[in-house]
Amino acid sequence: MNEDQDQALVRRTLRGDKKAFEMIVRKYQQPLLNYVGRMVGERELALDFTQDVFIRAYGSLRSFEPRYKFSTWLFKIASNLVIDHWRKKKLPTYSLSGKWGEDGENLTLDVPDDEPAVSRKFELAEFGHRIESALEKLPGPLRELFVWRHVNELSYEEMAEIKDLPLGTIKNRVFQAKEMLRRILLEMP
Amino acid sequence: MNCCRINDIYDYIEGSLPPGRRQDMEGHLEACPKCRRAVEERKLISGAAAALPPLEVPADFTDRVMRRIAPVKAKLPVWLIILASLSSLVALGSVALIASGRSLMGIALGASHSFWEYAKSAAVLTAKAATLLSLAGKIIQSLLESAAKGLSLANSLVSPWLQVVILGLMTALIISLAFAARKKISLGD
Repeated sequence: MNEDQDQALVRRTLRGDKKAFEMIVRKYQQPLLNYVGRMVGERELALDFTQDVFIRAYGSLRSFEPRYKFSTWLFKIASNLVIDHWRKKKLPTYSLSGKWGEDGENLTLDVPDDEPAVSRKFELAEFGHRIESALEKLPGPLRELFVWRHVNELSYEEMAEIKDLPLGTIKNRVFQAKEMLRRILLEMP
Repeated sequence: MNCCRINDIYDYIEGSLPPGRRQDMEGHLEACPKCRRAVEERKLISGAAAALPPLEVPADFTDRVMRRIAPVKAKLPVWLIILASLSSLVALGSVALIASGRSLMGIALGASHSFWEYAKSAAVLTAKAATLLSLAGKIIQSLLESAAKGLSLANSLVSPWLQVVILGLMTALIISLAFAARKKISLGD
């Protein structure tokens, strides 16, 4: 995602050029929907939230600091909307900097001798569908990082900037999300 | 080298292991089918997650967003605002000049003459007001002196007891007048 181009579009929007903001919407609607959709589950709600991200971004465009990446700023707005939604629905919103179960502990262990294989369990063709289902079972904060990393292809640095957490913590949580997803896949009928 | 640790496997897949450790790991993977399988397994999951299909964005999504946003008020630079104000002032002055049919010098002379006349009138008015104020001061002073003389004469003629009775009666009269006035006000007269 070309940062210089984004900054130029932001400047043009601030000068009153609505077409420039339209270009921003066209550029980011797909990645944002890919993220929000997997966070909230329902398609219509995801579309509403994605619209809200752009409306909020437009309303607070003057507060955007050009030293940050525009895309990470948009994802931060989206993430805040998703967290608000989880809170309203009384879904758990654990802190990523806290302790996170056994999958985190296993990361520093050697590969066990009797490790079962997901690859032997499912056909390659159904793998994508299985992963979508497993993602829904992943705790929200870990799912968010997994989606950012593998679907949106954000860097660890970008994720650390969005979540305002150390790089090491983010990286560890992403690995943990992957291990947890693998375990969910193994436990699937 | 011992068997691989899970987080090293992820670092290896992502290409973030330092070159020395990467070489060690590759050597170990050639000799250890268990770790090789563990790496392949995790590569498979990461690959499948990256290949998840994008969520479909409705064709009119951008239009829907753009309909919901109000135009940003373009912020004009200060120098431009000052320049525009000065230009308008000059233009307005020119129109007035042309409409009056007088020369610029004539208007300037007229304006300075009027200003001088106003200044003269203001000085005369100020002098008159000062005279009136000093006269009023003298009148108030003589009235206060007469009142003080009257009171001291009354004090020498009337006995102290009678003075107390008169004061009491006057206080009662003032209080009853105040009550009567209050009653009248509360009745709405």
